[in-house]
Parts: sequence; C-alpha cells; structure tokens
Amino acid sequence: MSDLFGLSMNYIMIALVILLAVALSTVGWVLLRNRVLFWIGVRNIPRRRAQTILIVIGLMLSTLIISTAFSIGDTVDYSITNQAYERLHSIDETVQASAGESDNPFGSSSLVSARPMAAADASQWVQQIKSIGGVDGAVRVIRAPVPVKDQASGLTEPVVVLVGVDATSMQGFESDIQSKDGKQLSLTDLGANEIYANESAADKLKISVGNTLQLFTSGEPHEFVVRDIVKDRVLTGAVAGVSRGLVLNLSQAQALFSRPDEVDLIAVSNSGGVHNDLSAGTQIKAAINNTLPKPFLAASTKQDVVDAANQAASFLTTFFVILGLFAIASGMMLIFLIFVMLAAERRVEMGMVRAVGTKRRHLVQMFLSEGMGYNVLAAAVGCGLGVVVSIGMVRIMAALFADFGLSIVFHVSARSLIVSYSLGVVLTFLTVVFSSWRISNLNITAAIRDMAETTPRQERPRVSGVGSLIRYAFWLLFKPTSMRSWITSILVCIGGVALAAFSAVFYIAGVAIYGSSAASGVAAVLLFIAGVLVSATALVIAFTGFLRIFQLGGLAILLGVPLLVLGFASGQAFPAGAGLSLEIAGIALLGIQVGVPNRLAATAAGVVLLVAWLLLAGGQLFPSLDGGPEMFFLSGVTMILASTFVLVYNADLMLVVLTRAGSVFSTLIPSIRTAVAYPLANKFRTGMTIAMISLVMFALVMTSTMNSNFNRIFLGDDALGGYQVAISENPNNHIGDVAAALQSTGTDGAALADGIAVQDEVRHANQNTAEVRNVLLADTDPKSDAAKFSKYDIRGPSAGFIGDNGIKFQSRAEGLDSDAAVWARLASDPKTAVIDGNAVGGGGFGGGEFSLDGVKQGDPTFKPVTVQVRDATAPGTQTDVQIIGIITPKASAIYSGLFLSPATFSSIFPKPESSDYLLKLKPGVNAGTAADSIEKTLSSQGVQADSLRKLIDGFQAQNQGFSYLIQGFMGIGLFVGIAAVGVIAFRTVVERRQQIGMLRAIGYTRNAIAISFMMESSFIAALGVLSGIGLALLLAYQLLSSDEFARSGIQGFYVPWLQIIGIGGFAFIASLLMTIIPSRQASSIPIAEALRYE
Amino acid sequence: MTTTPTDSVQPKASGERDLIIDARDVVKTYRTDEVVVQALRGVSFSVERGEMVAIMGPSGCGKTTLLNCLSGLDTINHGIILINNEDINRMSDNKRTEFRARQMGFVFQFYNLLPVLSAIENVELPLLVSGTKTGEARKKAEASLDLVQLREWAKHKPSQLSGGQRQRVTIARALVNSPAIVWGDEPTGDLDTENADAIMALIVDLNRQHNQTFVIVTHAPDVAARCHRIIHMKDGHIVREEIPQGASRA
Repeated sequence: MSDLFGLSMNYIMIALVILLAVALSTVGWVLLRNRVLFWIGVRNIPRRRAQTILIVIGLMLSTLIISTAFSIGDTVDYSITNQAYERLHSIDETVQASAGESDNPFGSSSLVSARPMAAADASQWVQQIKSIGGVDGAVRVIRAPVPVKDQASGLTEPVVVLVGVDATSMQGFESDIQSKDGKQLSLTDLGANEIYANESAADKLKISVGNTLQLFTSGEPHEFVVRDIVKDRVLTGAVAGVSRGLVLNLSQAQALFSRPDEVDLIAVSNSGGVHNDLSAGTQIKAAINNTLPKPFLAASTKQDVVDAANQAASFLTTFFVILGLFAIASGMMLIFLIFVMLAAERRVEMGMVRAVGTKRRHLVQMFLSEGMGYNVLAAAVGCGLGVVVSIGMVRIMAALFADFGLSIVFHVSARSLIVSYSLGVVLTFLTVVFSSWRISNLNITAAIRDMAETTPRQERPRVSGVGSLIRYAFWLLFKPTSMRSWITSILVCIGGVALAAFSAVFYIAGVAIYGSSAASGVAAVLLFIAGVLVSATALVIAFTGFLRIFQLGGLAILLGVPLLVLGFASGQAFPAGAGLSLEIAGIALLGIQVGVPNRLAATAAGVVLLVAWLLLAGGQLFPSLDGGPEMFFLSGVTMILASTFVLVYNADLMLVVLTRAGSVFSTLIPSIRTAVAYPLANKFRTGMTIAMISLVMFALVMTSTMNSNFNRIFLGDDALGGYQVAISENPNNHIGDVAAALQSTGTDGAALADGIAVQDEVRHANQNTAEVRNVLLADTDPKSDAAKFSKYDIRGPSAGFIGDNGIKFQSRAEGLDSDAAVWARLASDPKTAVIDGNAVGGGGFGGGEFSLDGVKQGDPTFKPVTVQVRDATAPGTQTDVQIIGIITPKASAIYSGLFLSPATFSSIFPKPESSDYLLKLKPGVNAGTAADSIEKTLSSQGVQADSLRKLIDGFQAQNQGFSYLIQGFMGIGLFVGIAAVGVIAFRTVVERRQQIGMLRAIGYTRNAIAISFMMESSFIAALGVLSGIGLALLLAYQLLSSDEFARSGIQGFYVPWLQIIGIGGFAFIASLLMTIIPSRQASSIPIAEALRYE
Repeated sequence: MTTTPTDSVQPKASGERDLIIDARDVVKTYRTDEVVVQALRGVSFSVERGEMVAIMGPSGCGKTTLLNCLSGLDTINHGIILINNEDINRMSDNKRTEFRARQMGFVFQFYNLLPVLSAIENVELPLLVSGTKTGEARKKAEASLDLVQLREWAKHKPSQLSGGQRQRVTIARALVNSPAIVWGDEPTGDLDTENADAIMALIVDLNRQHNQTFVIVTHAPDVAARCHRIIHMKDGHIVREEIPQGASRA
C-alpha cells in the first residue's frame, strides 16, 4: 500500500519517525537535565508488576488496532498485486474494441469480447505495436468459455476458458506458458490434437498429463490430449472470476469457435520483464493508440490492476482504522484514566516532591518519563499482537475471498510496522503529556494530607426585586464578575479563534509543497500533523475562553441553537440531533445551577436524550431530516453518555434490588453492599469504564443485529422471485428450450424435463457493451460523471418471465398500485423498464456501476425516471426508457440489472450474449437435486444450474462471514473496557488497603473481600455490557421498524441472541478474570499491616 | 516466620476471676528481608470482664502489636491467647474472623469508616457480616447510634461528619454486635481535646452502664487515667502495671 488519505506512505513513515524521535528525545532531555526526576518516574515501572502488565495492555491497544488495520491493507495490496503480476505475467497492455472502461482481460466482467477484430488487421497491428520503443512483444489472442469433460476422471466443468494464442508471435511472452515446475513450454510443441491445461482446470477436473479432454463448442464434442499442466496465467485462461483454462494454437481455437478470421484481443508486453517499470506503460499506451483505428484502444492492464490493488488496500486500511476509531478513542481514554489513577496513588508523594521545591513541569517530566517507559514497550507489544490478530483475520478473509477467485496471502511491510509503532508511541506520548499536565495541577497541602481538593462553590444570588432577577439571569448564563475577568476571557476566546484560523496556514502550506520532492512531502505531512495539533489546541483555548465567559449550561444552550438552525436549514439530522442534545444537556446543567438535585437533573436529561434519539432513529422526530451512517456514531455516543449518566446516578436503586436478591444468600449482602457502594461513590471513574464497555458493546450488538436482520431478508421465498432453479447457458451453446434440450439427451433427461412446471428465459446483453445513464443528468449537467454512460447488466425478460415471476418491488411509479400492475405495464409498454434495488441510493453493488438518479431508498412511490440504454459498440442504439419499478433488496440479490421489455431489448441488443433460464418445478421435485442433475445432463452444452435457495444461502453465508470479520475487529475494542476494569481493580486494592483491613477486622472473611471485589467489577462490567446491549437493541428496533427499512423488505425484528450472549458473556467473564489477581491480593492483605498503613 | 503457638501451654480455667482475656508468654517476631524485629518478647497479660485497661508505652514498644495479636488481627509465634476461654490462635482464619465478628468491636485512631457508606450502613456492617437479617440489623444499628447520640446523623456519610462524630459512629459500630471486648487503638489520637474528652466520657459511660470491656492502646495519660488499669510496655515487654488514682469499677 503506497498511499493513505492521499498521502504517500513513505512520507507518512518519515514524518512519524521524526515525531517518534522528538518524543524520545524529550525523555532523553529529561534524563540529561533532571536525572533524578527521570529515575523517580522510571523506577515506578517495576514496582507493581501485575499493574505494569495491565498498563502495558491498556497502552498497547491503540497500536494493536492501527497495526492490524495496516497489516490487512498490506495483505490485500500484496495479494492482489501479486496475483496480478503472476497472472498477467508478461502482459502490460491489451488492445480491444473500445466499450467503456472494463476492457482488461483480468477484470473483464464478460468473457465474450465486446467486438472482435479481424485477424488480418490484428496481424498488421501486432507488427506496428512491436515496432514501438519499449515494447518487446505483441500477440493475437482469441478466447471463449467452453464446457470441458475429462475422460479419465469423468468430471465435467461447464465453464473453462479456452484460449488460442498466436504461436508464431510469442516473442516477449515466452515465459507465460510454463509448466508447474517452471519449465518454459511452447505452443509450437503441441501436436494437432494436443492442448495445455492450466493448474486450476487440472485441479478442478483432476486432469493429468496424457488425459483426454472433451471440449464442446456449438454443442459439438472435440477431443484433445493434455500435453502438460501449465501455470495459471491470463494467456492460459486464468481471468477474473474464472481461473480454469486451456490454451492451444490460435488457428485451432479459431476453428473450434468457427471464427477463423477473428481474434478478440492483442496482448502487449513491455520491455523489462514481468516486474518492469509500470510508469513506462503510459507512453507506450499512447503510442499504441496513435497507431490503431477507432474503436480499438489499448488499456494499461497491469498498471490498472496494480492501481486497483493499491486503492483496495488504502480503502480497507482506512475502513478498518475508522472501524477501530471507537476503540482507539477508548484506548486513549484508558491511558488518561490510567495516569489519573497513578497520580491519585502517588498524590502524597507528588505533594511532597512539590513541597521540597520541584516545579509543576518537573512532575510532568516525571510522569512523562514513566509513561514513555511503558509506551515504548507497549507500542512494540501492540505492533506484534496487531500482526498476530491480522494473521487470524487474513485467514478468515482468505476463505471469504476464495469465492471471488482471489488468493489472499498474509503480508506486512516493514514500513507499515514502523508507521504503526511510531503512530502508537506518538499518540500515547501526546495523551501522556496531556494527562501529566492535567494531574500535575495539584494543591500541595491537600496532596500531602491526602485530602480532597475543594473548589469554591458559586453562591446563588438572592432574588428580591426586578434588579436581582436580572442579576440572577445574568448569573445563570455568565461567569465573569469583574471587567478585568471579562476582558481576559474575551481575549482568550479571540486567541483561540485566531489560532484556529492560523492553523489553516499549516494545511495550505502542506498542500502547496506536497509532492514536489521527497523532503517537501515529508515536510507537508509534518505540517498537516502540526495543523491538526494546532487546531486541536486552538479549539481547547477557544472553548476554555467560552467557558470562562459562559456557565456550562448556558454555553451548551448557546451552541445548540446554531446547530439546530443549521440542521433544519440543510435538512440534515446530524447537526439537528447534536443541537438538540446540547439543548437538553444545557437545560439540565442550568437546572443543577438553580438547585435541582444532581440525580434528578442527570436522570431527566439522560432519559429525555435517550427518548429523543430513539424517536429520531425511528423517524418519529424530525421526520423530514435526512441522516447517513454518521448518525450511527452520533446516536451511539450520545445514547451511551445519556444512559451512563442515568445509570451512575441511579445505581443505588439497583442496590435495593440486589440486596433483596442477595438476601437469599445472606452472607453475600455485605459483599454486595460494598461492591455497589464504591463504584457509585466514584461516578467519574465508574461512568468512564461503563461508557468504554458500553460503547464497544453497542457497536458490536448494533452491527450484529442489523446484519442478522438484513440477512434474514433472504430467508423467505420472496428472494426467489417465484422460481426454484436458475440455469445459465454457455455463450457458445444457446439452449433456447431447457426441457427440449433435456429430452434430447435420453430417458433420464426426459424424466428431468418432466419435473419442470414452468421455464422462462431472460436474455443478457454483453456486459462489456451494455450501458445506461440518467437522462435528466445528461440534459442538465452533461459534463458530470453521473451523466456519463455506465456499465450495467441489461436483461431481456421473455413474455413468459414477465407473466410468471413473483418478484416484488420496493418502490413503484406513481399510478401503479400493485407489483402485478408494474409487470403488466412492462409487458405492454416497450418504453418502460424495471431495475434492481442496488441501483438506488449509491447502488451499483449488484448490477454494475450505474446509480439511478431521482429515486430515494425507501420511497414507496416515485415519478417515472427516464434512463437511456445503449449498446456501446453499436452507435444509434440509444433508447430512452422509463423506470417504473425498483425491485426489493431481497429479490435484487438474484434478479439484478435493468429489465427491458422484450421488444426493446431485442431492438437494442439483437445478439444477446447468453440467456438465463428460470424454472418452476412440479410439486415434490427437489430443487437442489434437480439443478445438479440438469447441470450434469447438459454438461456437454456447458450449462450451469443452481438451486436458487442454495445461491441465496451462499450470499447469506458470505454476508455473515464479512459481518463476523468486522465484528471481530471491532471486538478488539472490548479489551479496552476489560483492561479498564482491571486497572481500576488494581488501583482500588491500593486505595482501600486500610478499609480492607478494617473490614477484615470487623468480620469480613478473605472470601468475602475477594467476592466483594469481584462483584464490584462485575457490577461495572454488567452495567456496561447490559446498557450497550439494551441501547443497541432499542436503536436497531427503532431503525428496522421505521418505514424506510420496512419497505426494504425487513419484516419483524430478529434478535441474534446467541451472538449477543456470546459477545456479552465474553466481555463480562473477561472483565471478571481481570479482577482475579487484584481480588486475591485484596483478600490476602495482612490485617494488622493494612490497618497500620496510612 | 510465623509458627503455631506452643502446644505445651494448656488452657487453664479462669478460676474465680472472670477473665475475658488471658494471654501467656506471647512472642511476636517480624522478619523482613534482612531484619528480625522481636515486637513482643513473652508477654503475659489478662483482663477481667467489664474491665477497662489502657496499654501505654513509647512508640515501637509493641502496644499496637499486642492489641493486634490479642484481637486476632495478627498471628503470634509463640504463646497462648484465650479470649472467652477460646484459643484464637488455634482457629482457622475463617473461624477466627467469625469469632471476631461476634465477640469483638474495634475503634481505630483514623475511624476507618467506609467513606462510601452512610453512618448507619457502616454501623450495621458487622451485623450483616455475622448473618443478621437486614431488617433486624437496621434496628440494632439505629439503637447503637442512639447509644452514641447520633441517630439524627444516620443517613450522613463520614465526610459529612466531624471527627468526634465519626469516632462515635466507630464506637456505635464496635458496639452494635454486643461484643465481649472492644479494642481501641488510639481512639482519641486524631481528635482535639474537647472531642477526645467527650469520646472518653462516652467510653467510660458505656463501660459503667453495660459492663463493656475495653482494651485501649494510647499515648495520652489523661485517656489512660480514666481506665481501671494501665499496662506499661517497653521493648516488647510489660514493664509494670498501674492502677490510676480514683479508678474504681462499677
């Protein structure tokens, strides 16, 4: 992976290494200047080993997540690139008829050439291309999918790519046809009836050298003897989607395909071997295109695939980093929590150090030294563990991607490891600096005496008369009490805003200098990072200034107003939701200020926020506003915060319930009492830990529930569209009538034909040439990308299919009040079409690159949308049709594409590539068995038959697999919460040493102490786990029962209890395990010693 | 290293005196990595039921160690300690803990109340530990707070109470289980003179009214002077006993 966020990874690495060096030299400077402070800090590391281990775990989690994300990116990059180099081998460019952008043989969506070229012309072009500087070979190729049977094994494969290569022009491609052991083979060595089979074909059909293969073209069998097994290469038939291939001489292939005067493409090899300089290809491509007549064009095939690999890797890395953001943020919160606790533990010590004359900055240096000690170790462990985690994830990915013909091989670059390590150390360094600065601000006397630091309470003005009312209102909103304070506060605000504006200079300068040289690239990355830091500092300063001017409640209310206005003005739910939340929080804070009890204010605000966000999600509140995936993050964070407040302020009520429950086991009551009382007494610490666990649980349960419900869409028969079996024919062997074809094979075939109740045909346009575009956009904004023609599956359903199918629509054109009415209209009106649900709302996932404009996901009705359809290779075929129905997501998995009326399809695509046949079977006929038997019976014609149920189950399994992969990665975040529970447990043992002694003195047994500690942790973990689960289920329910999702085919609400219990149980038990050691420590403290400890 | 108490010393009947504490030849040694400290060097000592005994001596003489050993908070290396005729060092840790919960109350210098529990919750804790039902525990705790005149402060947390009030809560907690003995380790050590005086008055009153046995470790002569007997310790030995002037048992 060479780029991330548009920046070169090399530059990012160098910039981060520089920052790492700065971080380390800061500590080095402390060592040189204040050796004592350095050692005071560092000697704390081995003091409590178990606690140190836990701190290292806490500190490493962010690095682990970053390192995992980078390793996955590297793996994908390496796997795709490696496979591209391996399969394309000598091929750098390919020349084909222009038909849009999908013309490379490696990524082509169709195996049938968009427009063949005349063999004689191609021969002439080959000579011209060879004369271009930098080209070391060009060769003519013909290819097509054929059914193949191995006579020895008796195995049949309906789709094997048969490639014919011009053996007389192999210069530059000599190494492309190699035996498995790397021996170079030649096509000229092949006898008249000999052929090479590639490894994939050999594996699938159990082909051995010397076996006889039967190939079927136009239904006619042809026999060939396998001379050798060759490596999977594009020239030996291994292309995207189908890796099974056979290769022989061009003339033989032309004869077999009955296309003696045609070839499909010219493969071009550049000088420099397989791993040549790809940048040279640009000039060569341009030179080739100058020599070729239109519509034939060259594509930089190898360069395109390598670029695509890079993009995929960059996308996946970014995707996983973003997925891990919750966990990274939680990890940084944990680091802060750890240092706050360490500071609390050493408060007296710190007070003493300050008392004897050290300055505040010396405390920062002390903590920094200690923090960096943990940090350099933790980041290394995190990096290593990240690699281990990614190896596990790569294994799962390998299984998932195997279905797409992509071989995933684990790979991580040293650069990624350096970036992960440096980023981990630098992030932790910044968090430690902030934490150290924060905790170094202590009152020396209070610290030495270990007393709580008190903040002066603001006196509420008395209300007596109009003047005092104004004073009261002023006090409610504003803080300053003197002119000097006003001026200072305003200056702080202005300073913050000015600094924020100034931070733009860093970004502008970064953009300006990026890319001109390596040094300027690194400088630009450093400027961007500096920009982020300066912006963050500016925000903190500005916010501090605002807080000096306004009371917190007043500030929240003030900030909420513009956000609400922005939300309603732009129609976006995100700012409106954020504004609403601020208003609610602000009112609660004002309430506290005027004397409302904290519990009442926090509970009321929490409940109102929860209800508001649930109503927002369900569309009952602000239904006119739109929201995207960002709402998931905002709703998650807000709801978790709200519920945490409600929980920590009301958990004492749970104590009553727990005590009642515990009275059955009366010996547990004292343990329960202390287990609940302590967390409630420290609301910040408890709330933070609950929020950490809850946040990750929320994300996991939400993902799991939403995926499970979406997956269940496919469970019902609606997804099958009324059919049980789908048959795809080989483009070279048109079937026409499946039943007749079966009957012609004999008695068994006739019996199979007898089981068919209905058969309907759907024709396919060639995917390389079928295109569609939005007419409205083409008229209004013709230059925009969205207005251009895009590749899409265009289908020509037969009249029978239109009449027989049971496919439903999620949206229908106005005036069409039933699904049947839509199909009837398509049958009667050649100017209409229906399209699959993937085309709506960013779509293109199933059918191609096209995205339908003018219809929104979830609209029940819409005004008919006009689109233009064409065969890209046949000028003049452009035809306008009106989309009148959007197929449900359920059925779109099978029935993807744009369905034209039969007549319109025939007029635009008179020569369809192939047909699919959809069968309804007679009662009692098993779809799976029937599909297998049909495929076997018609194997010589190369048909592929599938049970639709089986296909749907396959989709489901794949979706589930990806879902598990994502959940697994997000689950890493759970360890942050678990580690937090452990850190708190260790801390509490130290903190409560004397109290433990007292409890033991008054009769708590060792077990009671241990149980109390375990219960305390389980109380926190249970609150976090249950609140996360509860909120996720509530939000998922609200979302899934909203109109928008109901129209997508979601019916009912399914809760994946098994998964949820698994995730929750793991988090809970792991949290408990983390407290075993501290609990044992607590229970074994000698009583007399503990009581003496002061 | 901790060893079991000497087997050769057999418990003897308390005879005519109603001894509640009978300690003989108690030895306690602390060992750190390199240093061995003999905190108690064969201390013998007894207390009668209803007696108020003060233990005095310079810092490091072993008075708190003696209290810890007598109350079963710490183990001994040699000797025998009978509390209510039961040898506490022959008990398992759990049994000794249970014994402590039923027979003993503690008043510490720094109160050692749980800051997260209210006064009444702190007081009822020993009852809950010894298996008393919650309703009954609450009633007894209220009665105990009545005894120290803090009923109206029952719902307050320790941080909301003064030092004297906290120590009263500690005393209420020590008494709630009607223990045979209340141990006090510098019970007035963290209090000003006025509060210290009030606490001692309360302790004396409880001793007189309820015949409650108190063993108090203290540095303060005026605290010791209000007890029936003063034991003076030095270097791990009892060096002398003293009956304060005017001391008389109810």
